[in-house]
Amino acid sequence: MLGGIIETFQRPTYPGLVWTHVQLSVLATVLGVLISVPVALAVRNTPLGAAVAVNIGNLGRAIPSLALLALVFPFLGFGFTAPLIALTALAIPPILINASTGLREVRKEVVDAARGMGLSEGQILTRVQLPIAAPVIFAGVRTSAVQVVASATLATFIGGGALGDLIVEGFSRGDNAILLAGALSVAALAILTEVIFAVLERTFTPKGLKIAQQRRSG
Amino acid sequence: MPTVALQSLQPEFFDWEWLRENFLEEVWPAVIGHLYLSFVSVGIALVISLPLGVLVSRFRRLYTPVLFVTGFLFTIPSLALFAILVTVPGIGIGPTAAIIGLVSYSLLVLIRNVVTGIDSVAPETIDAARGMGLTNSQILLRVELPLALPVIVAGIRIATVTVIGIAVIGGFISAGGLGQLIFDGIDRNFPTLVLTGALMATVLAISADVALLVLERYMRPWARRARGAN
Amino acid sequence: MIEFRGVSKTYPGSERPVVNELSFEVPEGEVCVLVGPSGCGKTTSMRMVNRLIEPSEGQILINGEPNTSMSGTQLRRKIGYAIQQIGLFPHRTISENIGTVPGLVGWQKDRIKSRTEELLDLVGLDPDNYRDRYPAELSGGQQQRIGVARAMAADPPIMLMDEPFGAVDPITRERLQDEFLHIQDNIKKTIVFVTHDIDEAIRMGDKIAILKEGGILAQYNTPENILSAPNSDFVSSFVGSDRVLKRLSLTRVGDLDLEPPNGNAEGLPRLSNQMSLKDALSEMIGAGAERSVVVSGGSVLGSLTLDTIRQLSGKATK
Repeated sequence: MLGGIIETFQRPTYPGLVWTHVQLSVLATVLGVLISVPVALAVRNTPLGAAVAVNIGNLGRAIPSLALLALVFPFLGFGFTAPLIALTALAIPPILINASTGLREVRKEVVDAARGMGLSEGQILTRVQLPIAAPVIFAGVRTSAVQVVASATLATFIGGGALGDLIVEGFSRGDNAILLAGALSVAALAILTEVIFAVLERTFTPKGLKIAQQRRSG
Repeated sequence: MPTVALQSLQPEFFDWEWLRENFLEEVWPAVIGHLYLSFVSVGIALVISLPLGVLVSRFRRLYTPVLFVTGFLFTIPSLALFAILVTVPGIGIGPTAAIIGLVSYSLLVLIRNVVTGIDSVAPETIDAARGMGLTNSQILLRVELPLALPVIVAGIRIATVTVIGIAVIGGFISAGGLGQLIFDGIDRNFPTLVLTGALMATVLAISADVALLVLERYMRPWARRARGAN
Repeated sequence: MIEFRGVSKTYPGSERPVVNELSFEVPEGEVCVLVGPSGCGKTTSMRMVNRLIEPSEGQILINGEPNTSMSGTQLRRKIGYAIQQIGLFPHRTISENIGTVPGLVGWQKDRIKSRTEELLDLVGLDPDNYRDRYPAELSGGQQQRIGVARAMAADPPIMLMDEPFGAVDPITRERLQDEFLHIQDNIKKTIVFVTHDIDEAIRMGDKIAILKEGGILAQYNTPENILSAPNSDFVSSFVGSDRVLKRLSLTRVGDLDLEPPNGNAEGLPRLSNQMSLKDALSEMIGAGAERSVVVSGGSVLGSLTLDTIRQLSGKATK
């Protein structure tokens, strides 16, 4: 079994599958950020807008990933674009929810003090709100990224050509080694994503906030 | 594989006729099958998680290993888990493999929420209950679990919505359910079936989410009243 | 100098104004305290000075110029702003917090650094110790001091303070008030100070503006005058039925022309010349004495009789 798994890793087509999987995941997550964050910024000062954003996000989170992929398939057919769009749609909800709540959770008196001291709205956003909301936003991107990596497996059904291909192949051939090779690869990518984001999160959490967190839980 | 070109955006793209004719025969059983998969899985997971969660909250040392095992199950891609379960002798394709897989995915969320829920009960409350003469099992049943209920229901909500989503993938191993429609539709190059399955699965997931959210809110009458007082 | 000219504020959709035709002047270098019950518009009025809220009617002039003659952002960089919940930036160090406005208006780094040290000393916190700390590491009282230091950083001639000592216990509050009065003695900024506490108003204010619900100015005068001649039942009851005693707390024993010591000082209560007349009265009544001896350091300055205190309470001194 182990031999079969290693054999699969050594196939010339294997790196290509990994690369496609990574490409889909990274692009979908990045696009998710590029769409969600500006929306969250736009509604940060309107309670109604923010509530709508969060509710849409919560509903979006419930949508099954395979259903999303299946929904784009009839319009865009097989290939790379369809899964990319579906995975982007999947990536949006956690980022939108976290970015929106993160920005709104910046304490009102901090924003009031900043405004009263003479920071312009733009300066308040870049120097106060975003840095303070950064850890929460990052947590959202992290949740999103891991979900996308896992769901990219399903792209195989609409010709996406990622690591799911191995799983399907292993299944239809009755060869568990190939199947496991695919499964382990995805699991490894998912864990790697978690680790990378854990590091990123810690890097981007301003020191003052880390101390405040410690004090609260201490 | 043939590409479905832009010509498919024609009226025949979504075949309403077909849908009206075949709804009861093809679509409705899939909906029932999906509900069956989902509720049975969450039900079994709950039956395992409640006692296990209570146990873990009492014996803290179990928490890490239990989280580890259930968390590990969670990282295995659902497709792979289903595929592997099918090859186990005695299981084969069909709903059983799917249910086993779905149960394992729910365990992490449910156990974690049972433990968190019980933890969230203020020690003073339990102390007062003990002081009033309630036995341990009475405290559990009359104080801890009811107070933990909102958090547990939140866990049930997340588990249910997740399960409804993953159950769609069960169609690959012929577990029935709405996923079956999607896979059949792709195989037969029949967009109507694909879209029907996908849309119904989406509607089902969102409805369950909203319904359980309402239930969750309803479960906190003491918190609701306190908020009302403010 | 700050002037309110017929300033009113009504929120859209609301019938009643929150601030109603407020007109008064704060002379340069003085502390004007806005005080009143909840809903009297004191905070709203203060926030109209730096245009965090815009008036519906009327004008606010600063040194003769309408405060609309420049952008809100520019205006605020020239006015110090300290609020009750402080609002320190949690993600920045203490020195970064303090240096915010100087940085915005383009001070050199060295100048900011030395100014920060100066201010930390001024509010009683050791610069070397606190400079690089974060707000979460400080106690409420310390944060409140940093809030004041931050408001003073760019040395603005005008400051707005909304219950700036509100978030701490009464003992710390009194100390902070004392320290601030001491600072103001030397620096003489023009300050608008908001509080709900009449005692704080009497302590801190050169002038007090008592506001009624609905944002109407009830009385505007020095603490002394308001206490001796409240102009309405509202003001009377707001300052409290112990206003005579409150007035006594405004004067110190040492400020009076004392009678010469009259022979036998035995058994008489000895009062410090720093003591307020109110506390002196309390001591003498407690000791059952008609007369007391006033001392400073070891030496006797004179004596004080209950009669003298009675006379001072009876008339309204200008």
